[in-house]
Amino acid sequence: MIMESLLPVALFSQVGNMLLLVLFVSACLAGFSGVVNIARPAALFGRPTSILLVLNAVVFFAGFFWISWFHYQIYTLLPLELPSQLADMLNRRLEMMNSGAAYAFPLYDAANPPRYALPLWIENEKYYFWFLCYAVLAVIAHFRLQQHRLRGVIHLLLAVQVAILYFAANPFTEPLPRFFSEIGPWFTTEMHHGERFGLFMQLYPKMVFYYNAEYMWFHPPLLFIAYACITLTFVTSVFMLVKYDLEVEQAGYDFAKLGYFMLTLGMLLGYPWALKAWGPNWWWDPKICSSIMMWAVYSTYFHTRLYANKKSMWYFSSFLGILCFGAMIFTFLASFYFPGEHTL
Amino acid sequence: MKESMKKKASLDFYLILATAGVLFVISAICIYSMFYFKMAQVQEMAPMVKAAYMENMNTIISPFLIILILLLGICVPKRLLPANWLLLFTVLLAVSSLGISFMYGIKMGLVVVLLISLVLQFVVLVMALAGSERLNFTRKGYWVRTGSSLLHMGMILFVLDLFFYQHQTLHLILFWVTTGTVVAGMTFCFYADNVVGLVRKVTGR
Repeated sequence: MIMESLLPVALFSQVGNMLLLVLFVSACLAGFSGVVNIARPAALFGRPTSILLVLNAVVFFAGFFWISWFHYQIYTLLPLELPSQLADMLNRRLEMMNSGAAYAFPLYDAANPPRYALPLWIENEKYYFWFLCYAVLAVIAHFRLQQHRLRGVIHLLLAVQVAILYFAANPFTEPLPRFFSEIGPWFTTEMHHGERFGLFMQLYPKMVFYYNAEYMWFHPPLLFIAYACITLTFVTSVFMLVKYDLEVEQAGYDFAKLGYFMLTLGMLLGYPWALKAWGPNWWWDPKICSSIMMWAVYSTYFHTRLYANKKSMWYFSSFLGILCFGAMIFTFLASFYFPGEHTL
Repeated sequence: MKESMKKKASLDFYLILATAGVLFVISAICIYSMFYFKMAQVQEMAPMVKAAYMENMNTIISPFLIILILLLGICVPKRLLPANWLLLFTVLLAVSSLGISFMYGIKMGLVVVLLISLVLQFVVLVMALAGSERLNFTRKGYWVRTGSSLLHMGMILFVLDLFFYQHQTLHLILFWVTTGTVVAGMTFCFYADNVVGLVRKVTGR
């Protein structure tokens, strides 16, 4: 990796992978317990699974702390420094660009060059944060709900998520590949002043409007917390189809309330950011469309739930809880399949 | 009285079903637009063609947004008015918005509907804050009702904000008022018990 001489990448990978292995083993054990409990008529491994789930959440937090440390290293060790003669030229250019623009670029300050304050949920790290949220909520759901089959499904889903992290979305083995491929040439290639200036003008807008955007600290994490809540509402909704259980319904509703809160606030906070970063031409972006659709389904769930005492509405609201999960998966995958401003 | 309440409850139910139906159609149009966007490679097109695509999609979705806004306009006074008056109000609202649309354009007609809804919702909010028993809510509780009123007012403000996003200062003011209102609404509505606990702790009562 090209950045190894500048950053403690090897150390980050080694410790991170060790933590991920612990996570994987504990999640597999919880998943195994989940399968056994789903298959059996009575609960099994109740206490060991409780301990495993708590351990899982603690290790998740340790990994998250480790990611934060790595980002701090990036912040301190990788400033975008320019030679002084280029700095003057750059500031003249930025002032010209800023005049009449709705959103201005900060001018270059040689004493305090721009640095990457990377959010903790970009590239593969977003899966880590999403599944961390689920792991914490799974602990809460586990202690709140006593039905062993319901618990089993929650454990199994945790195991599936950690397996995805371990095999397909490991944030530690090759950290932030897209980010490093973008900024790599700045730090590793010899270039003349004109080239360096040109590269700065490529990197700086993305730094200001994406990596260092204040909205990046609110919009994505709120959505990932909402995704974790929607997953749990999905599980309870499936159970509602099988059995009339008010306790399960209430738990699903509580997770839905938190999820809806986070989703609505997260989407709202994305709106001024979209205007700032893309201008007005973002409304029909595929990801925006699918997000609005998901929010519409979620809103409908809340309205139909008011009438869940009617038998048909009980099933309809649980169907909407399941549909909401489907809409969430669709929305998430939309970033990969559909072109647009959110494309990965 | 009992008959009127029953009528109101069923009207409430059908309004919810109608809203769900319109939201479903809007969702279906969104899905269609996503696949069309991909198939036609809209992101590769020239800005003029892209703008035409957006204009076309706006035209397709407008009738459903208009119905949604009208439903919103009907849902707000359902808290205030008895069923018969509500029907009369609905007809008046539809006719006046059609008249204004015909004279000054659809956008103006919708803005008027939204402004009427906003005023009515503000009245509902004030009455909810005053603890009025005359409001028709499906759910009980002071904070739940206040929260629900705030949440719905936030939604109206958000749609108004969409109309005014080109006026940057007004848009930002409306946006932050919307966000504050929605957050306060969801907090009071979803976590009423915790709010009650907090209020008791603070006031010592």
